[in-house]
Amino acid sequence: MAFYEHIFLVRQDAAQTQVDALIEQYKGVLSAGGAKVEKVEQWGLKSLTFRVKKNRKAYFILLNIDGPSAAVAEMERQMSISEDVIRNLTIKVEALEEGPSAQMRRREEKRRDDDGFSMEDMN
Amino acid sequence: MAMDQGARRPFFRRRKSCPFSGDNAPKIDYKDTRMLQRYLSERGKIIPARISAVCTLKQRELAKAIKRARFLGLLPYVIG
Repeated sequence: MAFYEHIFLVRQDAAQTQVDALIEQYKGVLSAGGAKVEKVEQWGLKSLTFRVKKNRKAYFILLNIDGPSAAVAEMERQMSISEDVIRNLTIKVEALEEGPSAQMRRREEKRRDDDGFSMEDMN
Repeated sequence: MAMDQGARRPFFRRRKSCPFSGDNAPKIDYKDTRMLQRYLSERGKIIPARISAVCTLKQRELAKAIKRARFLGLLPYVIG
């Protein structure tokens, strides 16, 4: 079995319930192919830095997958057909990340201190 | 400081070490946009390793991470 990180973007006019339905749908596809979904992370509606299929924003969903490549390939195939999924990216990793990813951690930091120390100013 | 040497060799700069090498160095992750943003110019281009002092191996890893983040719309291909 191999580990995969999979991120897909759902178009901006989808409702949150639709997003949840999509996640369940693709989880079903994966489990049908014998893969296990270790973690689902929703980053919510984020603005994109450029337009993707006329969308300025998109829902980001991260899946950590442990399973055979065939299952992942099947999910990717179905995503490529779907009108709601505007982009997807699968990356094979040595080990799956424990705990929340950098995106989620960043959001928590933001909530904690708003005056912030921002490293972005270094540019 | 470099000042005492600066009088002799005005263009001498101390070689900075790679920010991704050594203990407790940050991990290069395409999901960590805030970290990656530091290695983009104002125009959105990847800053060359000779300026950022990132070592060759890490620069390659960094470039790949930035390109992945760009594909996902997390980072821009161009600004302006």
